[in-house]
Amino acid sequence: MIRYLARRLGQSALTVFLTVTAVFVLVRLAPGDPASAYAGPTASPEDLARVRAQLGLDESVLAQYGIFLRGLLHGDAGMSYSFRAPALEVVLGRLPYTVTLAVAAILVTAVVAIPLGVWMARRADTAREIGASVLTVAGQSMPDFWSGVMLLTVFAVLVPVLPASGFTTWAGLVLPAVTVAVLQIALISRLVRREMAAALAAPYLTVARARGVSERALVWRYGMGNSLIPVLTALGTRFAALLNGVVVVEVVFAWPGVGSLVVRALETRDYPLIQATVLVTAALAIAVHLLVDVCYPLLDPRVRLGKAAAA
Amino acid sequence: MSVPVSSSPLPPSPGDSSPARPSAVTPRVLARSRASRQRRATRVKLWLGAGCTLVVVVPILLAGLLPLPGPNEQDLAQRRLPPLSGGHLFGTDQLGRDLLSRVLHGGQVSLAIGVLAVVVSGVIGVLAGAAAGYFGGGVDAVVCRLLEAQLSLPLLMMLLLVVALFGPSVPVITLVIAVAQWPELARLTRSLVLVEREKPYIAAARVLGLRRGVILARHVLPNVARPASLVVLLLVAQAVLLESALSYLGAGPQRPFATWGRIISDGQDYITTSWWLITLPGLVIVLLVVGVNLLGDALREATRRGRKADA
Amino acid sequence: MTRFGSGAVLDRRSLLRAGLAAGAGAALAPLAACAGPVGAATPGSLTLGLNRSLVSLDNKLNQFDAALTVQRAVRQALTRIGPDMSATPVLAERFEQTAPTQWRVRLREGARYSDGSPVTVADVATALRMYAQVNGSFVVNLFPELPSVTPLGERDFLLETARPVPILDLLMANILITPAAANRPEELSGGLGSGPYVVSAGNGGTGEYTLERNPRYWGTPPPVRTVRVRFVPEESSRVVAIRGGELDVIDSITPDSAEQLVGLPGVAIERVPGTRINQLFFNFRKPQGHPLADARVRQALSLAIDGPALLNDVLVGSASQAEGVVPLALVGAVRTGTYTHDPAEARARLDALGVRDLTLTIIWESGEFPADASVMEAVVEMLRAVGVGARLQQFEPGGDILRWRQGRGGDWDVLGNGYPGPTGQAITSLLGMYGGTPDKERTRDTYQGYVVPEIADQLAVAAAETDAARRAEVLTAAQRAIWASWPCLWAFVPNVVLARRTRVRGLALQPINSYDLAAVRVEEQP
Repeated sequence: MIRYLARRLGQSALTVFLTVTAVFVLVRLAPGDPASAYAGPTASPEDLARVRAQLGLDESVLAQYGIFLRGLLHGDAGMSYSFRAPALEVVLGRLPYTVTLAVAAILVTAVVAIPLGVWMARRADTAREIGASVLTVAGQSMPDFWSGVMLLTVFAVLVPVLPASGFTTWAGLVLPAVTVAVLQIALISRLVRREMAAALAAPYLTVARARGVSERALVWRYGMGNSLIPVLTALGTRFAALLNGVVVVEVVFAWPGVGSLVVRALETRDYPLIQATVLVTAALAIAVHLLVDVCYPLLDPRVRLGKAAAA
Repeated sequence: MSVPVSSSPLPPSPGDSSPARPSAVTPRVLARSRASRQRRATRVKLWLGAGCTLVVVVPILLAGLLPLPGPNEQDLAQRRLPPLSGGHLFGTDQLGRDLLSRVLHGGQVSLAIGVLAVVVSGVIGVLAGAAAGYFGGGVDAVVCRLLEAQLSLPLLMMLLLVVALFGPSVPVITLVIAVAQWPELARLTRSLVLVEREKPYIAAARVLGLRRGVILARHVLPNVARPASLVVLLLVAQAVLLESALSYLGAGPQRPFATWGRIISDGQDYITTSWWLITLPGLVIVLLVVGVNLLGDALREATRRGRKADA
Repeated sequence: MTRFGSGAVLDRRSLLRAGLAAGAGAALAPLAACAGPVGAATPGSLTLGLNRSLVSLDNKLNQFDAALTVQRAVRQALTRIGPDMSATPVLAERFEQTAPTQWRVRLREGARYSDGSPVTVADVATALRMYAQVNGSFVVNLFPELPSVTPLGERDFLLETARPVPILDLLMANILITPAAANRPEELSGGLGSGPYVVSAGNGGTGEYTLERNPRYWGTPPPVRTVRVRFVPEESSRVVAIRGGELDVIDSITPDSAEQLVGLPGVAIERVPGTRINQLFFNFRKPQGHPLADARVRQALSLAIDGPALLNDVLVGSASQAEGVVPLALVGAVRTGTYTHDPAEARARLDALGVRDLTLTIIWESGEFPADASVMEAVVEMLRAVGVGARLQQFEPGGDILRWRQGRGGDWDVLGNGYPGPTGQAITSLLGMYGGTPDKERTRDTYQGYVVPEIADQLAVAAAETDAARRAEVLTAAQRAIWASWPCLWAFVPNVVLARRTRVRGLALQPINSYDLAAVRVEEQP
C-alpha cells in the first residue's frame, strides 16, 4: 500500500514536472515579445532592453529554466508581468472562485444526473426514454459558450432575474453553474443509464426480485450500490476536468476564476502567470485523480490497490 | 465521453430470433420485447441523426451554388436586419452581411478543420495504439505514459496556449485539435489489437514466417479498422465543438473569414437587440453536432448488437 | 500486496457518509472564502464596471483613462486637467511659471494623507525620482524631461528643467504623490494617499476594490460613501449588468453598447468629443517608387473610404471624422481639411498615376479602437470597390504587432492605430506622431517611419516657445504641412462615451475620458 502510494505520488510529481517543462519550452519557442507587452506601446528600445534585463528575458533559455526551477523549489513561480505580483499568489487568489464553480456544478450534476440516469435505465427504449436520451445527446452537443450566452439572454436580459456577471451575490453562481452542469449532466446520466441497465439485468437482481425485495430497494440499494463505483469515478474525473477546464464559461460570465485568468495571461504573454496557472491546475487535477484511485478499495472491498498497481 | 473501456459491455440480451412455430409469443408481444424496443430506439436515433446531419451538411457543401450573397459582401445600409426580411433568411449581421451565407461558409471551414483533424488524429492514434498493443513492452510503456500525461493536462488551456503562441492559422488549429484527440483512438485501437493479437490466424501468420510489421499492417489493422472507425463520427462532432470554442475565444483563422465561434462572439455584442446573431448560428452547430452524435451512437449500438448476434 | 486499511471498522456506508460530509465541507469552504459583497445598488454606494483590470491604485506603469479616475480618488497630484483643458491646482495651492525653465509651486495649506500626516516637499521630490526609476513607464514618456525639485521653504519649492517645458503644470497632473517613506520605484499596491477615498478592500488579482470615504480628507468630503470597482472584461456583460442595475457606471463603451442602452429607462449616456485620434496610418517606410511613397496615391486611396457610412453605420454616431491631424478638442489643434468619399475619382486618380493591381495589408491590434474589426472589414470592401485588394492581419494584445510596426515582423501598408492626448495639448500628440527624426528612425523609433525634418523642426520650435501667439502660429503651419502629406487613409475622433444609471448625478465626463469621482452623487430613488 505504502509502496503503491509512493509510486503513484512519484508518477504524479513527474507528470506535473513534465507538464510545466513542456509549457516552459512552448512559451519560449513562440514568437511575440513579453517585454513589449510589459512596457506598453510607447516604450523606447532602451526601455525594452531595461525591461528585458529586469525580467531576466535577456538570459539564455537554459539559464531562465534554471532560475525557474530554483524558484519553484522555493514555492516561487516568478512575478506576473501584468499583475506585478507573485504569479502563484495571483493564481491561488483566483482558485477559490473556480473551485466554487466546479463544486456547485458537480453538485447540480450529481443531483440531476443520477436520478435521470436511473429513470432512463428503468424505462429503457420507451418512447419517452428515447426522447430523454436525444435530449442528453443535445446537452452534450451544445457549445458551452452558446448555451451560456443563451441562458444569459433569457435570465439576465429578457427576464432579468439573475446577475449576468461576476460573483458579487450568491445568485451570480446560478447561471455559470447551470451552464457547466448541462454538459456534465448529459455525460453522467448516460453513464448511469448504461451501468444501471447492466446492473438491473444481472441474475442476482432477478433472484432478489423473486424473493420479494421491494422495487425501490432493488433499484437503489442493489442496482445503484453496484453501479456506484464507476459513477463516482466519473464524477471525480469530471470534477478534476472542471478544475482546469471551465475557461469558456468563466469568460462568458466574467467569472473571476483561473480560466478567465489564463485567457488574459495568454493575451499579454505573461509567461510566469501562464506557467503558474498550468502548474496549479495540473497539480490539482492530478491530485483529484489520485484521490479517486485511492478511494476505490474503500468503496469496493474487492479492489486491492496492489492489484491495481500490477495491472 | 471518456468511459473506461472495461465498464462498457452490455448484459447479454435475451434471444430475439422468433421461431416459426405455434407459440404464445405473438408478434405484439415480440414488438414490445426488449430487443425489438432496442432496435427501434436505434432506428429512431439513426434516422434522426442522419436527418439533422444532412440538413446542415448539405447546404454547407452547396453553399457556393446556392443563390446567396457572398459571406463578406456587405451592405452597410442593411445592418442587423431580423430574419426573413429583405431576402435574408437568417437576417444580416452588424455589417449588413447575409448571416445564412456566413454561417454556411463558416461551416465549410469548421467542417474541413473537423474532418482533417480527425483524419490526422486517426492516423496518429491508430498507428500508436496498434504499435503499443502489438509490440507491447517499451513501446507500450511509452505510449501509455504519453496518453496518461495528456489526459491529465488542462486540454482547452493547452490548445489556447499553442494557438495563441503560434498564430491562429488553419493548419495550426487542425493540428492542435488532432493532437487533442489522438488518445481516444489510441486507447481503443490498443485494446482491440490486444484481443486480435492472440487469435489463431495471427499465430498462423507468425508460423508462416511473416515479419511482425507485415502481420500488423496486413492482418491486424484491417481487422480493427471497422470497430475503430465507429468512434470517428463522435470525434468529428467533438472537433467541430473544439474549433468553435477556440474561435469564440479569439483563436480562429484571420478575419474576415467567418467561423462559427467568431460569428457568435461578435454577435454577443448585440445580445440585447439582435437575438438572431447568436441564436441561429448556435442552433446550426447544435443541429450538426446532435446529428453526428446520434448517428455515431446508433451505428455503435447497431454493430454491438450485430457482433453479439454473430457470436 | 498489503491489504489496505481495516475494512471491518471503516465500512463502505460510513465512508460514503463521511465522503458526503467532506464534500459539503469542500463546497462551503471556498464559498465562504470568496463570498462577495452583497447586492447591487446598496444605498449610498456606487459600483463602477471597468473593462480593464485595475492592477493597482498607482499609475507608475499602468495608465488607462478609467483607472486614472479611480486612482485620483485615492492618490492626488499637484494639479489636474480641468474641464477646459487647463491645469487646475489640487495639492498645489499655486503653480506658476516664473522663468522659461522655472516654476514656483506652493503646497496647499492643510493638505494631508488619510493617516493625518501632511503632504511635504520631500514627497514630491521622491515621487518624481520613483517615476524616473521605474521601467517602461508611460507617464515619464510624456515628459520631454523630468523637472528637478529645489525646496524653498516648508511648503514652497521650485521645479526646474534644462529646456523650456511650457505645459509642465499639465504634465505634473500625472505624477501622483505618496509619502516619501512609503514610495518605491514600482507600483504601490496599497499605501496612503491624500485623496477623498481610502481603499478598504482590494484585490489586484481580480481587479475588485472597495473604496470608503476618507474621514480625514482635507477638502470637501465626497457625497458617495462607498465606491466599488469591478473588473468586467466582456463588453456584453457590462451592458447587461448596467441594464439590470448591477453596475452604476460603465466607461469607454463601444458604439454598439451605447446604441443598445440609449432610451432604456434608468440609463443615461454621456458623450464628449475625445482627445484620442484613431487612424488608418500609412506605412512611411516604403521604398522610393512604391505607390504608397507618393502622397498623391495616398490621397487618391483616401477617396475610396466612405467616412459617413463608417461613422453612421459602423461607429453609429459615436465618433466624428477627423478634420485635422489631431483632435480639435486639444488645445492648439486647428482644422486642416476633410476626408471626402468619391470612389470614381479615386479610381480615376489611381489610373492616372499608373497604380494597378495594388494589394494592401492592413494590420491592427484587437481593441485598439471601438468596433475595430468591423471598421476593418468594412474598409476592405470599400477598397475592393475601387479595385484595390486588401488583406487583414489582426493581432491579439501583447502579440507581435510592435515588431511589425517597426518593420521587423513583416511588410504592411496600413496600420489601424489610436493615439491618445493625455495632456490635453496638441503639441504632445503632434511631437509623438510627427516629430520623428532620421536619428530616431535608425532605431525604428519613429511613428511608422514618418520622418519629415522640416515638420519635426517646426514642432521642436513650437514645443520650446514660451510666447503663446508665436507658438500657435508655428503649430498651425506645422499641422497644415502634415495634412498635405496625407499620412492617413482615414482618421476619426471617437467620442468618449460612458453610460450611467440615472441615479448617478454630477458626473462630469471630460474629453480625456476621466471624471472627478469626488463630485459624483448618488440619488436614492423611492
